[in-house]
Amino acid sequence: MRNCFLIFACTAGLTAQVKYDAIVQGPRADWLTYAGNYQGWRYSPLTQITAQNARMLTPQWVYHVPDARGLRSSPLVYDGVLYITNTNSIYAVDARTGRQIWQWADPRAKRQGVNRGSAILGNRVYLTTADNYLVALDRRSGGVVFSKKFADEGKGTTSTSAPLIVKDKVIVGSAGGDSGMRGFIAALSAEDGRELWRTYTVPAKGEPGAESWGDLIEWGGGAAWLSGTYDPELNSLFWTTGNPWPDFAGATRKGDNLYTCSLLSLDLDTGKMKWHFQFTPHDTHDWDAQSWPVLLDTEINGRPRKVVLHANRNGFFYALDRVTGEFLRATKLIDNVTWAKGIDDKGRPMEIPGQDPTPEGNWVCPSVKGATNWMGQSYSPLTGLLYVITLEQCGRYNMSSQTPKPMSNFSGGGATEEGGQVIVRALDPKTGKRVWEYPMTGAGRMWTGTVSTAGGVLFTGDDDGHFVALDAKSGKNLWHFNMGELSTASPITYSVDGKQYVAIASATAVFAFGLFEPAEPVTTPAITVVK
Amino acid sequence: MAALAVVLPLAAQHGRYLNESRNPAIGKPEAIAAGAKLFSGSCGGCHGPDGGGGARGPNLVQRALWHPLADEAIFQAIRKGIPGTDMPPTALEDEQTWNLVAFIHNLTGPASEQKVPGDAAAGKQVYASAGCGGCHAIRGEGGRLAPDLSNIGGSRPLASIRESILEPSKDLFYLGNEGVSVTLKDGRKLEGVAKNRSNYSLQLIDRKGDLHLLRMNDVKEMTVRANSMMPGDYGKRLTKEQLRDLLAYLAGQTIR
Repeated sequence: MRNCFLIFACTAGLTAQVKYDAIVQGPRADWLTYAGNYQGWRYSPLTQITAQNARMLTPQWVYHVPDARGLRSSPLVYDGVLYITNTNSIYAVDARTGRQIWQWADPRAKRQGVNRGSAILGNRVYLTTADNYLVALDRRSGGVVFSKKFADEGKGTTSTSAPLIVKDKVIVGSAGGDSGMRGFIAALSAEDGRELWRTYTVPAKGEPGAESWGDLIEWGGGAAWLSGTYDPELNSLFWTTGNPWPDFAGATRKGDNLYTCSLLSLDLDTGKMKWHFQFTPHDTHDWDAQSWPVLLDTEINGRPRKVVLHANRNGFFYALDRVTGEFLRATKLIDNVTWAKGIDDKGRPMEIPGQDPTPEGNWVCPSVKGATNWMGQSYSPLTGLLYVITLEQCGRYNMSSQTPKPMSNFSGGGATEEGGQVIVRALDPKTGKRVWEYPMTGAGRMWTGTVSTAGGVLFTGDDDGHFVALDAKSGKNLWHFNMGELSTASPITYSVDGKQYVAIASATAVFAFGLFEPAEPVTTPAITVVK
Repeated sequence: MAALAVVLPLAAQHGRYLNESRNPAIGKPEAIAAGAKLFSGSCGGCHGPDGGGGARGPNLVQRALWHPLADEAIFQAIRKGIPGTDMPPTALEDEQTWNLVAFIHNLTGPASEQKVPGDAAAGKQVYASAGCGGCHAIRGEGGRLAPDLSNIGGSRPLASIRESILEPSKDLFYLGNEGVSVTLKDGRKLEGVAKNRSNYSLQLIDRKGDLHLLRMNDVKEMTVRANSMMPGDYGKRLTKEQLRDLLAYLAGQTIR
């Protein structure tokens, strides 16, 4: 036994494993974190697939995820293995062939729900369950290394986002804000899952910010249900927060409702809030701020700035100074915005009166789904453009006069989503202006993100279930493939043995595409069966 | 060495086990034993001797994985039968019926939620001395060739764990358990478990626990073991007490 373990230890030392530095470097052949790099770019330097040859793309394989419906997961790839999650489960798939290597599921989880993906470090792959366990598995075998609970589903909290690993920490968020809960972001040890810090997104009674609430502050929401981004130089995390609760009934929570519908900058080591910026004070339209805080260094008004870009559900596209949180600029993300005239020079919306939900219903643009949402945006340093999925849609917002009761599926009212059009928009980070658009047909029901590449291609899904390649410079369509069902996840790209693949989850399966190559006949070797 | 059977995801998207009844028969060894006797006399003909299903009756263990029933519902099914099927009503006394329910309950519940005889601490020693950790891992400690046992008690019925130890080859048909060795066209030789394989590719984890993702075009020769790589003689190697203690240790392996 002793010798045996010594051998294992030696082998483990020699085997390649995922290092923090590799995640910092950003994608190469592998795709190691949800958004590709810490800046949230979803951009790959791979160049095999180009705007010139994208029309030669063909499906390489399809992996049907067991029991999947409406997959939200963005895969990771390391060393030829692709990891895809579903509710309380994860699957390791040969990234070249789509053949399953292992699967792990926890059928005893007390909740079901969406899962957006996993994280990887060392020889471990991490995911959270819907009832708030952080699970670490051996990436090669799927064996459990630890499984540790970090929040109580009995208090309305669930977990949906892909964890973000930075250095030795696994950063997790919290979901469930539409039914009343107290949002938080927590750092757990990558070693054993123990909690290192936890920062609540809604203050406790008596704490600074609590004056912006009423009696329901303990159930105020501000869920942090999407992963965030990280600036290694500032050692800052950037994390967005969701709506205040009850969503559509604001009378019980007079004030700005800090720190909901906001972007928070947190110190990685302590979780301490360095600054916050609230996009939608006292939100009554369920406009969570969940959309990627994209980090980049660019010129704003002729001055070099470290900025964080944020396309918000409320209809505006923001640029902030990510060192200080200073508001720099906001432009309209979509054409149809009826609730605010614009954003003032302090970053506060200039609201038009009478736009709150009413018992009989109030017609407001954008719709509850928002001008954009959590679908992955991408920034291409090649074109200097940020690609955002936008939705031109309005809806009727109703307010309920019932007494709010937490954790009972009560959100203070409801909203419709009527008609609408999804449009990919390429935005210039320097000015906020649109450079090109790609309008789609469909019913406004897709939730697909994007990935852009050094080959000059932007990949996304459309609102009819097609996977699409666009020219990243012009928005011109290059190629499309009908997946047969809507996609609600974000694509990635990776390379194995010199071949570039683009992969995306549809509602029920993972599709991988690559450039056409004539099939190679396979000769089955001599197989001997021994008893 | 090797495979203590693949870990079936026991139970249920619905996530409920047959553990809701407070009837004293549930979990009581005497009741389970009495139920076992009744079962083999009256039920096994259709449902198979171990509840694994037969020509006329469904597999009770597997069915319970996906559509768990409350103990009371099983009681009623035994009593009243299931109209429109071959399952007839019975005229058993309450106590006998509950004994049967206790047996079926025991058959299907995860070991970690059952009262299991034996000394788990002694079982841990047995696990070590029998060399289980050379191939299996528990919470990151041990080998990667064979199925992970971190949640074996939380995911499988005791009877199923026992069977995997005593008759490891029975589970071989599930994905990820075939022992294979291959000679590649470049001369390399690899040995381990085929996590998956087809005519076109092979996903192999070797004895060191490293993955090899191979194209069959690169494989010159392959040998597949018809039996599990796990030795089939643990029934002889272990004393009754050792097996009992080992089962107690494994039954306690749960991630919840």
